[in-house]
This record gives sequence, structure tokens and C-alpha cells, in this order.
Amino acid sequence: MPPATTKFGIGRVPPGVMLLEVAFFAIGPMLAQTSPPAASSPDLSGFWERRDEAGSGSFGGTLEKIPHAALKPEIIKANRQAAERAARGEVVSVASKWCGTNLYPFFMQHSAVWEIVQTPNEIAQVPEVHTFVRHIYLDGRKHPDAALLQPSVNGHAIGRWDGDTLVVDSVGFVGGGATPGGGRTTPHSHLVERFHLFDGGKQLSVTFTWDDPTVYLKPHTYELTYHRSDSGTYAFEEYCHADDPAQGASVVEPKQK
Amino acid sequence: MMRLDGRLFCGLAVVAVAALAESPTSHPNFTGFWELRFDSKNVPPAALTATMAAEDRDVQYQLDVKAIRWCHFFGVPYVMEGATLDILENQSGRDIVISSSLRSPARHIYVDHRGHVNPDTFDPVSNGHSIGRWEGETLVIDTIGFSSEGLTAIPGGGRRTPDSHLVERYRLLDGGNRLSVVFSWEDSKVFAKPHTYEFRYYRAPKGTEAREFDCSAADTERAKFLTEPPK
Repeated sequence: MPPATTKFGIGRVPPGVMLLEVAFFAIGPMLAQTSPPAASSPDLSGFWERRDEAGSGSFGGTLEKIPHAALKPEIIKANRQAAERAARGEVVSVASKWCGTNLYPFFMQHSAVWEIVQTPNEIAQVPEVHTFVRHIYLDGRKHPDAALLQPSVNGHAIGRWDGDTLVVDSVGFVGGGATPGGGRTTPHSHLVERFHLFDGGKQLSVTFTWDDPTVYLKPHTYELTYHRSDSGTYAFEEYCHADDPAQGASVVEPKQK
Repeated sequence: MMRLDGRLFCGLAVVAVAALAESPTSHPNFTGFWELRFDSKNVPPAALTATMAAEDRDVQYQLDVKAIRWCHFFGVPYVMEGATLDILENQSGRDIVISSSLRSPARHIYVDHRGHVNPDTFDPVSNGHSIGRWEGETLVIDTIGFSSEGLTAIPGGGRRTPDSHLVERYRLLDGGNRLSVVFSWEDSKVFAKPHTYEFRYYRAPKGTEAREFDCSAADTERAKFLTEPPK
């Protein structure tokens, strides 16, 4: 979609329009005290959900479409060892058993819907799954100095509009999260995301590019798409109680040596 | 192109101003970070039912300890006082989201004129189901559908239950630098009459950032600290 353009150029204002402009100047301060002005940027707000268009319902097919990351040898070795343990029945899923916080970008791959709340100075991604709201600041602030940056599950995210595309730059992850394509997050991870609408605003594309010299041989890029949920959608809360016997029994403990 | 004279434009301007005055977006905007301070709470004691008044105080204490130790979602009302709030009004006008640094779900307040969800199909949750409407410059939020999960103690006494009904009234004070929220709880099994209290939040400084107060139920040292007597 091309960027919005003004109909009248500067110096081409018809005489009667001046009155209208005066009226708007008069109410300008009033609006400033109330709601923000209508945004000219695309409206990403709403609930978004993934649909398994390539698989049989488990999202396996969708994830298989994501290219393999060019990983450092030590990461490949660690992934292979983890796969071998899983093949032996050692299902290591501490986060599931203990209802641990899901690390970004987990909820972007999950089937549960997540919401975009959009304001001129901040966009929030609000997931249903067990984690924190992700705050993307659009007010021109920079990332904190590395010495002051407190690592967090969602990282420190700042955004800007590049035409109709929201570009989000994130650093400061706690690390330990898995990324599609075989990688993982670390405190050295740097993520650039590009959000843009297509299909008349019914779908949202997010292109992720991860860069991390401790994990990747070169930046790893993949795209996920989301469908806009129905207008009456409302948020659930993902129930997970680590003291619920059913939750603990849902995960097989790894064999102890 | 159609030509319009100055008189017609003047008329259009008046219409435009009138329309904006009645526009659903002409209400105050609460978007921003808000924090409580030492003088932010006006909480009178609640008038409890006889059953609740007779309850051993240890009952609520044990419920709270369990919720914290096991990292349950805290829910309303604790999310309104546990950490700095980030209130965001979606530019679409559909909802207002209130989040905090706590590892507890954000509150969604639907202001698009929808009603409450059907209780026959809605699973109760720690924040309940909230719908909002504007009364002049006051946002009135109506919440039902609570679960009994999380930190359920209500300031002033009593606790949130699945039968609780909460009405909140939000309005700006002091030129937009403070936010008043008046909470009114009704629950025939808990309160002898509606319980009302007020918090006044201060607008946080520009540049404030959200934090993440994580919670690990697997941390045995933390569990000991929370459940064993101090040494």
C-alpha cells in the first residue's frame, strides 16, 4: 500500500479553506488534552492468530517451512544431543512442568492469539500464554547503555515506521529461548522485525532477522504470517499451576544418572 | 472540482467542531505509565458479612502465600497495586489494556459496546471479564467472571470470589498528572454492603519503561523463604 499523501500542496489552499483551518487550530489544544490524533500509520491493532495452512493441525508443517539457520558448530552439536535425549524418552521440559515464563519469541509461534495494542508512542504485544506483555517504544528513545540494560524475557524493543512497515529493533534478551530454524536466544541476540499488513489488513506478516555471533554464522531470517481474529474476540488467561498434580504429571521427568 | 464559497466552509467548520465534541474519541486519554505513592490510597475497612468477619485471618494469609509461592496469576485487585501500571488505549477504540511488571495477565477492558460474555461459556479468570463505557470524562469499568485464583485479598478486607462484581471509575485529576480510580466491590457472601475505596496514581516520568518481575516456582530456595518461619 502506498504511503498516504495530502491532497492539497502547500500554497495551494482554496480561499474558503482558511476558515476551516482556523477552526481546527482552535480545537487543536482541546484535542491535545484528550485523545491522541488519528494516526496516519497502518492500524495493526487487534487480535492476531496463526493458522496451520501447511500442516495437519499441529503447526508442524508451518514450522517446517522455516529455513534452517546457519548455526555455529557447537550449537549444531548441542541441538543433536538434545534430539538424541528426546529420542531416548528423556523429555526435558522444565518450563512446562513448572509453568515457567515463556521466552520471546515463543508466543509468536504459538497457536494462541495475541493482541496488538497500538498508540502513537508505544505498541504492546499482549499474549495469552504465560509471559509478559512486550512493550515496543515508538517515542524516539534509544536502547539503554549496555551497562544499564537489564536483560528481560522480551528484550528491550524500540520501533519506527518505515512507510507502512513497523520496524522493531530488540536487544537485551535473558537468553535460553528457542528460535525457529534451530537457533536460540542469548544475551548477545539482536533481533530486527518488520511488521506489515497485507490482504487488505486481514493478515499480518512479521519478518524476523536474528543476529548473534555466538549462535549464527550469518543472520537468520524467516517470516510468519497471522490472521486477524474476529472483531468480538476476547482474551483468555492460560491456566498453568505448577502445584496442580495434573500439570506435574503432564511431563516425563528426565532419567537421573 | 466542486467550488465552495467561504460561508459554506464556515458552516462545515462549525459542523466539524460539533462532531468532534461528540466524537467517541474526545474523552480523556489515560495512556501512559502510572504509579502509586505513599499517599495514594484511601481505603476504609470493609463491612464484611458475619461469616467473613469470623474467618480466621490465617485463611487469607495461607491463600496468598500459596499463590505467591506457586507463581499463580495474581489477578484483580492486586495487579492494580503490585507494580507500576502501563495503561494503553488502543487507537482502534476497541479496548484499553492495563499491564504491569508482574507476571500476571494484562487486563483487557472492551469499550466497543459489547456486553459481558455468556457465563455459561466463559471460564472464570483472575482478571475477570471487563467492559467499559464513558460517562462524560469518567471511564466506568464493569467486571464479572472472576476466578478464585491468585492474590484474592481486597484492600480493606474481604476477598475476590467467582460471585464478585467490581465497578471502577477512572478520571484524571491535576491537569492529567494524576489518575483517580474508585473501586466498588459487591459480593453478597463477602460484603454486608458495597465496599468502596480509592487509589490515586501519579503519572510516571517520561521515559519510564516496563520491567519484568519474573517468578519461578521451581526455585527451592525461594519456596523455603516464602513458606518457612524467618530464622
